Amino acid sequence: MPTPLELIKKKRAEAVSRIIGKGYLSTKRVYVGMATCEIAAGSKDVMEVFRKAVSLGLTDVYLSQKGCAGRCNLEPTVEVIEAGKSPIKYGKVDTTRAQEIIERHLKKGEVIQEWVID
Amino acid sequence: MTATYRIIVCDGTSCLNSGARTLTTVLKAQLDKHGLTDKTTVSLSGCLGMCDKGPIVVVNPGYTLYGSLTEGDIPEIVEEHLVKGKPIARLAIQEDHLYNRFFRVFGDAKFFGHQMRVTLRNCGIIDPESIDDYLSLRGYEALAKAVTDMTPQQVVAEVEKSGLRGRGGAGFPTGTKWKFTAAQVGTPKYVICNADEGDPGAFMDRSAIEGDPHTIVEGMAIGGYAVGSSKGIVYIRAEYPLAIRRITKAIEDARAHGLLGENILGSDFSFDMEIRLGAGAFVCGEETALIHSIEGARGMPRPRPPYPSVQGLFGRPTLINNVETWANVPVIVLDGANWFRTVGTETSKGTKVFALAGKVVNTGLIEVPMGTTLRQIIYDVGGGIPGGKAFKAVQTGGPSGGCLPEQYLDTPIDYDSLAKAGSIMGSGGMIVIDEDSCMVDIAKFFLEFTQNESCGKCTPCREGTKRMLEILTRITEGKGQAGDIDKLERLGKMIQKASLCGLGQSAPNPVLSTIKNFRAEYEEHIHDKRCRARVCENLVTYEITEKCVGCGACRKVCPVTAIAGGPKKQHVIDQDKCIKCGQCFKTCKFEAIAKV
Ligand SMILES: Cc1cc2nc3c(=O)[nH]c(=O)nc-3n(C[C@H](O)[C@H](O)[C@H](O)COP(=O)(O)O)c2cc1C
Ligand code: SF4
Ligand code: SF4
Ligand code: FES
Ligand code: FES
Repeated sequence: MPTPLELIKKKRAEAVSRIIGKGYLSTKRVYVGMATCEIAAGSKDVMEVFRKAVSLGLTDVYLSQKGCAGRCNLEPTVEVIEAGKSPIKYGKVDTTRAQEIIERHLKKGEVIQEWVID
Repeated sequence: MTATYRIIVCDGTSCLNSGARTLTTVLKAQLDKHGLTDKTTVSLSGCLGMCDKGPIVVVNPGYTLYGSLTEGDIPEIVEEHLVKGKPIARLAIQEDHLYNRFFRVFGDAKFFGHQMRVTLRNCGIIDPESIDDYLSLRGYEALAKAVTDMTPQQVVAEVEKSGLRGRGGAGFPTGTKWKFTAAQVGTPKYVICNADEGDPGAFMDRSAIEGDPHTIVEGMAIGGYAVGSSKGIVYIRAEYPLAIRRITKAIEDARAHGLLGENILGSDFSFDMEIRLGAGAFVCGEETALIHSIEGARGMPRPRPPYPSVQGLFGRPTLINNVETWANVPVIVLDGANWFRTVGTETSKGTKVFALAGKVVNTGLIEVPMGTTLRQIIYDVGGGIPGGKAFKAVQTGGPSGGCLPEQYLDTPIDYDSLAKAGSIMGSGGMIVIDEDSCMVDIAKFFLEFTQNESCGKCTPCREGTKRMLEILTRITEGKGQAGDIDKLERLGKMIQKASLCGLGQSAPNPVLSTIKNFRAEYEEHIHDKRCRARVCENLVTYEITEKCVGCGACRKVCPVTAIAGGPKKQHVIDQDKCIKCGQCFKTCKFEAIAKV
């Protein structure tokens, strides 16, 4: 019988491979804030913009929701995380900004400095 | 342009003592020498929780942690890592603490750099609805470790040693409470998570559950193991639908993975959980009232002892802790009490979450080590007061707390220092107040809340708060009388002493603390009929200044025709007629009407 500790490590390995199966190793990971506060600020529509882009063929992007990081006055927030680069944190992302993040950052790799939370 | 490298130097007390400032100076000189200054940002952070390995420098991207540094190491880091792109294995420290996951993603932003996220470690970096995400970050490993390697007594001892104190308001030592509950014989015993969160404006617990529900499930399962309970209940307010949905899903997913239910992970330990919805009365957050409410009775407090740990839900031993308290538990088990004790102050270990609000540039949910000063929170994390206004006070502890003026800004905050200063830690409300707010009005706001929420069981709380509110109301209306301040103080002290539960015992705090620290403002209201912040309508006089262009807009809106004047002539208000409705003030487009 494996011990509970051995079992949980096995479960972790399985979880990691399931996450990878969902595309976690894509070049860019995008996290959209989806807590009560973020949703009140309009993050559901923002999420929809990203979802649609992915379903319309935006590749190499892993899209996920996340809880709130606590940056109340800059919501909705979106992070773009890329291996080997500093994580980029965008604030006040509405649907227009989301669209531009897709076009400029996700497709062309350009960080849109003026929306970055610093 | 984005900087190529983002460097963080730990600016916590311990690293400062071991020479962090010199490192920063040398680092900046080296960057200059290699022409990297423009391509690199250097920021300072609060304690990173690795004091024994200080001073610490973090190089991003990559989150390379360099520790135990001396001045001599800096040129090497700059040349090898920054110039040649080769991290230096010899100086890098490996650590796998639970708490700093968040820092990897957010640590290089000013607002987050001075924070330390222990309980909110996963909030904002994982999908809260995915148990896989949680598992991948060592989720449920603390539970597995507890049931594999530790006896229940050892878990209790570890929590006791950690120095953790209850985050729901009272700050009672958590380990002591666990020990009492564990010592009771017989079954069943219950474990409760208090997620009632009734303070006006508070949202710490909601965010924690919405961002990382599995942490609470795991913490409670560990608590169940430690005290010998197989039944957990999350009491959460019905106004939190998303949090309810997420914690419900977390419980179901955990069950499906064999992490809740019979024989968890093949061990002898069985534990399951359910959700109970609270109707939203403030007093239902008080533990005995909460227990009554789960039992189906009216949510009214009862005298203690007996404490819930001895006689709680359905008369059985019950361990009740706050959301944030529970969220600390997996960290204590996995990172160890010894690590946990390194964070915080002598009497208060670990971190505290605050909902930073009011007149501060960066409002938000923050978590900082105990011992962080109010000034660091308001200025370093919060970014200071907007609009060049002057700081006046900070309110902590919500309706049970108090207002602290400027001289307390450098107080390192913990349960005891806040109490000594005349406020409380409470559950984590923190409202910054600037010169535009009236302290009497603020005291009145909080008292209105508690007065309204009093369950009515005790006369001092029910009637006493009503009397106090009447006096405050008349003071703000300009009808204050000599002796009112004394009356408020006498009533307040009586209510504090004679009330049954914490609601009544603490309801006078906002009034008493503002009298203590801002007595002059009360006196001005009462004797000079003046409100220096110009908030109390009845104490304000409206006057038309020379900026008036004579447009007549104010004259048209005045409901009592108190304003006279012709076209292009400065208008005048007849003070005898004016009812101080403020309409003219709002209407004037030329800022020609002044509140004096
Ligand atoms: C009026 C009143 C309201 C309270 N509301 C809450 C609440 O919303 N959440 C909470 O955790 N504790 C609340 N408490 C404190 C609880 O009675 C209890 O001390 C706490 O749940 C214990 O958990 P802890 O030791 O982890 O803090 C309240 C107390 C009083 C007197
Ligand atoms: S102190 Fe107030 S809220 Fe508490 S039991 Fe008495 S009347 Fe009710
Ligand atoms: S405050 Fe109201 S009543 Fe007084 S002058 Fe202005 S509009 Fe008239
Ligand atoms: S509470 Fe979520 S960011 Fe403010
Ligand atoms: S002060 Fe730097 S790690 Fe604690």
